[in-house]
Parts: sequence; C-alpha cells; structure tokens
Amino acid sequence: MSKRYGATLALDALDLDIRFGEIFGLLGPNGSGKTTFIRLLSGYLLPTGGQLEICGHNAVEQPLEARRLIGYVPETAPVYGYMRVREFLAFMARLRGMTGRSVFDAVDRVIAALALDAVADRPARTLSRGYRQRTAIAQALVHDPQLLILDEPANGLDPRQIIEIRTLIRGLAGRHTVLMSSHVLSEVARTADRVGVLLDGRLKGVRSMADTPDLEAWFLSLA
Amino acid sequence: MRTLVSGMRTLGVLLRKELLATFGSPIAYTVAAVFLLVLGYTFSLTLFATKVANLIYIFHQMYVLTILLVPALTMRAFAEERRNDTLELLLTAPIGEVWIVLAKFLAVFALVLGMYLGAIVYAIVLDTHGSPDWGPITSGYLAIVCHAALIVAIGLFMSSLTENQVVAAALTVGTALMLWFADSVSYLLPPPFDVLAINLSLIGHFRPMVTGSVFVSDICYFVTLALLALFLATRRLAER
Repeated sequence: MSKRYGATLALDALDLDIRFGEIFGLLGPNGSGKTTFIRLLSGYLLPTGGQLEICGHNAVEQPLEARRLIGYVPETAPVYGYMRVREFLAFMARLRGMTGRSVFDAVDRVIAALALDAVADRPARTLSRGYRQRTAIAQALVHDPQLLILDEPANGLDPRQIIEIRTLIRGLAGRHTVLMSSHVLSEVARTADRVGVLLDGRLKGVRSMADTPDLEAWFLSLA
Repeated sequence: MRTLVSGMRTLGVLLRKELLATFGSPIAYTVAAVFLLVLGYTFSLTLFATKVANLIYIFHQMYVLTILLVPALTMRAFAEERRNDTLELLLTAPIGEVWIVLAKFLAVFALVLGMYLGAIVYAIVLDTHGSPDWGPITSGYLAIVCHAALIVAIGLFMSSLTENQVVAAALTVGTALMLWFADSVSYLLPPPFDVLAINLSLIGHFRPMVTGSVFVSDICYFVTLALLALFLATRRLAER
C-alpha cells in the first residue's frame, strides 16, 4: 500500500499483515508516516496505490463495511466538548448503527470498563487530559470493534495515566486486535506483542517483542 | 430501500447533534438578535416614511442581512470540526459523507427559518393596521427562504474548504456578492456568456418573486445552485 501527497511519497509500498487478537506497535520518529498509515487504516484517507483489507473487507471498495469493524482514536483524542460524556458515547454508538436499548447497554459497559463513572455526566470540554483520552478510547470501543486503532495513545499523559492506559490496552488483547503508534520505544516495548518500525514512509522491519530483548538496539540498527 | 432507511436514521442521529451544536452556540443567538433588531428598525422606519402596507423593503433587507449574517453561522460547520479533529470521528464512522453535509445544512437552515419566523410579526402588524396584498408577501417569504437555502449551502461548501472560520465566512460573502452582481458584467462579455451572467444573477431571480411573480425558473435557480453547493461540499469531504 502506498500513499502520495502530490509529489511527496508519504508511504512507500508498505506490506504488513496484522493478526487477530494481537497488539501491534508501530514505531517511528515524527514524520515517518505513522499517522498517514493509521489514517489509511481508519478510512480517513484512501491509498493512492496497493490494497488494504480489514477483516476480509476491501477498505477502498467496501469502505462502510470495513469502517464498521474499526474503532479509531486520533492522536488529539477529539471529543464534542458541548456534549456530556454519556451523551457523546451514545452519539458515537448510534453513528455506528447501534439502536434502542443496546446503545445504553454499550455506553454503560464502556463507562465501567474505562472507569468513567465519575465524569459520565460532565460536559466533555471540562475533562482532564487523562479522562479525555479514556473517553476517546471508550467511543472507539462502544460498538465492540474487531480492530482498535490508537494514534499515540500516551501523548500528553502524566506517568500514572500512561500506566493506566497501558494496562487498559493490554487488557484488550485477545478480544480485539489493537494497532497503536508511538515514537516512544519504551511504551511500545511494554505494550505491544509485535512491533514494526517505520522510517521515511518505509516499513524497515517487523519483530515479535518476545524475540526482541533490546528494542532500542534493534531500532538503532534499522535507523 | 434498506440503504435509504439506514441513511435516514443516520441523518436523524447527525441532525440531533448538529441542532445541539447550532442552538447551543452563542453565535446563533447573537446573529438572530442582530437580524431581528436591524429588521425591526428598518420596518418601523419604512412604514412611517412610506405609509404603504407592503414588505418589499423588508424582504430586500432580509436578502442583504442573510448574505452578511448567515456566513457567521455556516463558517464553523466544517472548519471547527476540522480544527478540533472531530471530523476524523465522523469520516471514519460507517456513514456516507452526504448525510454529514445534509445534517449540517438542515440544522443551520432550521435556525435561519426560525429567524425568519420572527419576522412574520411584521406581516401581522401590517394586517392589523392596514390591508396588505398577501400575494407578494407570501411569494416574498418563498423568495427569502430559497435565498437562505442557497446562502447556507454556499456557506457549507466554503467551510468544507478550509479550517479557518474567518476565511470560510469571507469566501461565502464574496461568492454571494459575486452572484448578486453577476449581471453587472454581462455587457462586457461576448455571447453566450452575457446571457449566462444575467441568468446567474442572484437579485435577478429574487426580485420578481418579492414583487409577487413566482416563476418555476427562479425557484429552479435557487434549488439547483443550492444542490450544486451541497454536492461540492460532499465531494470535498469524500476527497481523501
């Protein structure tokens, strides 16, 4: 899969297979193409070349079917500030086709799973960065997607919040496939099952964390 | 059929959110207050000056105010979503772009219709104290509603082009003014462009309706251009 912005080649023939139930960490410096890749996978962007398949659905030819299986958290963890957290989650659930009682059940489920009870009835604009990130993850999980995509999930969080989010992501393994991007090596090392290194729009290598005792040395050898 | 039902359900969900955003914003109330204040002032002034029971001046005032004020309502539609990254949430949800555009259009259009509804009081005042001809008043309201639909649609398209709200508003006002004065350049253009310029004129299609002459061609002009602007906004969103 490739992505070109005018004359700039942002992703160059990226070939990657992410397995069901694993946590895949995408590692690379700023500007390496991580966000472009993630936006392609989420359906926000379309590839200019190659193929993208999500759980058997061609993301270009069947975009709505593919997007139904995805939960996506952009880097800035966007939320509608004028909505209450519960209201926002219900809106996102309905947007993904959920109706009736199932919406409220799903909202209650993610509020409990992400420990959002204390802020559930607060306007989203009043949330702290940590709660905002959790709310953004909750909206991505509300329809129980097969694939969860997280762009820099630890960005801007304090150490305690980073640990909480990491524990949360680890807890999703097995039931959901998780793709997370980061430019922080230690974060990927602690969270992911497999890791891919993206540099200048090219996938330089993919390894299992179990086979990579020193991620830093491996990353430097590729860079 | 199933796709349409699902689409309408999506439209309902999005429209609810858009109404919440539109009517929850102080901009909406500021614009409505300015609109009704200026209109009330003009109405009193023209009524006392002319002593004629018609609303032609009021409709022309509404025409200008719509061009000047509606961009303040449409400028944030996509620009703000783009700036806050919430557009990513909408565009990665399993919904068609057309429903996003339609929901935003209907929400702003509903607000503008609400403002126009407030202006109906002038017609009631005329009816109480005089004998107005209801034909031109009815066609005048039809004209201003068509005009509003077009300006809202243009505003949404301009908002879809940029994340800067001021730029979106300026582009909307600029486009509306260009359409308003399109016929002024007709004498400079060779055929058939001169006729095209005349037929593109906003005021050329608005004026007959305000004076009581309703032509299908005038209504088609507003509807066609509004649909074109909404189509372009949808295409802009679909560009990935």
